[in-house]
Amino acid sequence: MRLLVIEDYRPLRQSLTKGLREAGFAVDITGNGQEGLWYAMGNEYDVIILDLMLPGMDGLSILRKLRAKDRQSHVLILTAKDTLEDRIKGLDLGADDYLVKPFAFKELLARVRALLRRGYRQKNPHIKIKGLRIDLTRQRVWRGRDEISLTPREYVLLEYLAMRAGQTVSRADIWEHVYEFNSSASSNVVDVYIGYLRKKLERPGKPSLIRTVRGRGYTLGAQP
Amino acid sequence: MRSLRTRLIIGIIGAMLLLLTVFSLIVYSVIRRALVNQFDQSLASTARILAASVEMDGDEIDLELDVQQMPEFQRPDRPSYYQLWRHDGTVAAKSPSLGKDDILRFEGPFSTPVFRAFQMRNSRPGRAVGFKFSPRADSRDSNRQTAIQQALTLVVARDAGGLHRQLSFLQSLLLVASGVTIALSVLIAAFVVRQGLRPLDSIAAEIAAIKEDDLAVRVATASVPLEIAPIKDRLNELLSRLEDAFKRERRFTADVAHELRTPLAGIRSTIEVALSRGRDTAEYQTVLSECLAIVENMQIMMNNLLMIARLDACQVTFRHEQINLLEQVDSCWGPFSEKAIGREIAFANRVPNDVTVNSDRDNLSMVLSNLLNNAVEYTNDAGQIWVAAQNTDESVEVTVGNTGCRLTNEQAAQVFDCFWRGDSSRKDAGVHSGLGLALVKRIITALNGAVTAQIDQPDTFKINLTLPGPHAATSD
Repeated sequence: MRLLVIEDYRPLRQSLTKGLREAGFAVDITGNGQEGLWYAMGNEYDVIILDLMLPGMDGLSILRKLRAKDRQSHVLILTAKDTLEDRIKGLDLGADDYLVKPFAFKELLARVRALLRRGYRQKNPHIKIKGLRIDLTRQRVWRGRDEISLTPREYVLLEYLAMRAGQTVSRADIWEHVYEFNSSASSNVVDVYIGYLRKKLERPGKPSLIRTVRGRGYTLGAQP
Repeated sequence: MRSLRTRLIIGIIGAMLLLLTVFSLIVYSVIRRALVNQFDQSLASTARILAASVEMDGDEIDLELDVQQMPEFQRPDRPSYYQLWRHDGTVAAKSPSLGKDDILRFEGPFSTPVFRAFQMRNSRPGRAVGFKFSPRADSRDSNRQTAIQQALTLVVARDAGGLHRQLSFLQSLLLVASGVTIALSVLIAAFVVRQGLRPLDSIAAEIAAIKEDDLAVRVATASVPLEIAPIKDRLNELLSRLEDAFKRERRFTADVAHELRTPLAGIRSTIEVALSRGRDTAEYQTVLSECLAIVENMQIMMNNLLMIARLDACQVTFRHEQINLLEQVDSCWGPFSEKAIGREIAFANRVPNDVTVNSDRDNLSMVLSNLLNNAVEYTNDAGQIWVAAQNTDESVEVTVGNTGCRLTNEQAAQVFDCFWRGDSSRKDAGVHSGLGLALVKRIITALNGAVTAQIDQPDTFKINLTLPGPHAATSD
């Protein structure tokens, strides 16, 4: 899942990036409002973590512009402004969540996960598809009774496919949502990782989970 | 201090009392005079009738009998008495009812009745008329000379109990009427005063309802009397000022909290992320030094805040001395020179060597360091920073200027506000607390100086300081 962090306070920006990346997210970062707007307009972020007081352009203006252009990214406002009016203003301008600094990093993670589930209409944090079970909170995967050990990259890819289970997911979508802006990987990395995933997930004699839709992409759990 | 209400009531009642007393005295004396006059006229006419009936026959004096029998002299309840004297003082005739008693003899000018009050033997009040006249001469003796010599004195006295009863009734009538009027006017005055002061009560109630946490309320009594309107207006002005002051205080507190939240969030999030899994020593060291840097910045901010609070509370003492400005600027520039060279910023200290200021060395150096730090921070790469100064009569004008300014004149006016940052030129949040220039302004003010900010050419930012000159009187 791909996130954008717009935060001008360097120590916080650094730790957020580190923590979010370690939690398996693809994270783009900027400390400038205008740059942040440029990032947010140009990419389909799943969640944007937005500070309000920013150089260049303040957070609420960014939010307003995003919503005016109908961008669907979920926005979590992360700010030191804690008054009721500030919260209401932020939420009414189209933010999806509001977290006041200082905050517990675990809470931020939980809220980001909640926003992701909401984005993919997935209320249940446990996804079950044909004997495949994914615990979105603890990022663990089972096939039947066997737990499957995945690398963070593999997990993120599986999670994205699972969130959109039954739909055909293009390579571009995967690229957009799983890899960071500055990522040096090329798009055939997607095929490579799909291969890894298949190797770990598929069981002989059982129906395959990940199918290739020729010319369009992949689909997880769709009926043949 | 007595209450307005008591004061008004006492005033009204006092005035009423005075007016009623004067009025009653006038009424009493007018009526009394009229009554006494009436009594006296009746007495005088009796005396004239009596006198007219006196007949002089040589030495014999006759009083006509029917006059002696006049009802005035016969009435037992308010008896009248007469006595007639010859001019030599012998009694010629008197009321039989007088018995052996005599009436006091008195007289006025010839044929003019004179009146006198006296106390009768039975201690009842009486009034008498004295009348000197010459009796009608007997037709048989027409010697006028004798007649004049034979002038007689007649005194008629009458019991004046009735008159006195009337007068004392009048007295008590006036007293009772005044008393009732006073009593009524106390009630009326109390009512009128209460009605009149009601606007005060309603204003007082409004003021009492103002809570210290909601100073946006104004005293709004719609129909305030003309006299109270200024009080209401002044009060509302005071409320406005208080509200502004409270708002400033609250905003300041909120700003402080806000400014502390961001670095706290940085520390917390850095530590939490570091603790989320096992790390190697180098990584822990990085995290710790990051946190230390944040804490150091927080400490600087706290010190600035504390200094501002102390300056605001006038708790800072200064030690004034003569300071050579050129040397002071050079020593303050020292810590920034390396950074400036790194960014190819040219620094010029144009302070003449003979400029001396009378100031506190530590605080002046704090001011200069702050200004130079800001200048280095916001000057464009390869830009310029300069300090100039000149002596005027009593003071020294110092200018710290730098290029690369992107502020508007409007923003320049705000640079001395706490936590204000020229947002677009903010390079790294948390490093600049937005307190430096606020502190500068307060220190300079406390040092009896003045400071202004100015945009000169489109990109030149200037801070102008006015400092007390070497001969300025120090006032701590």
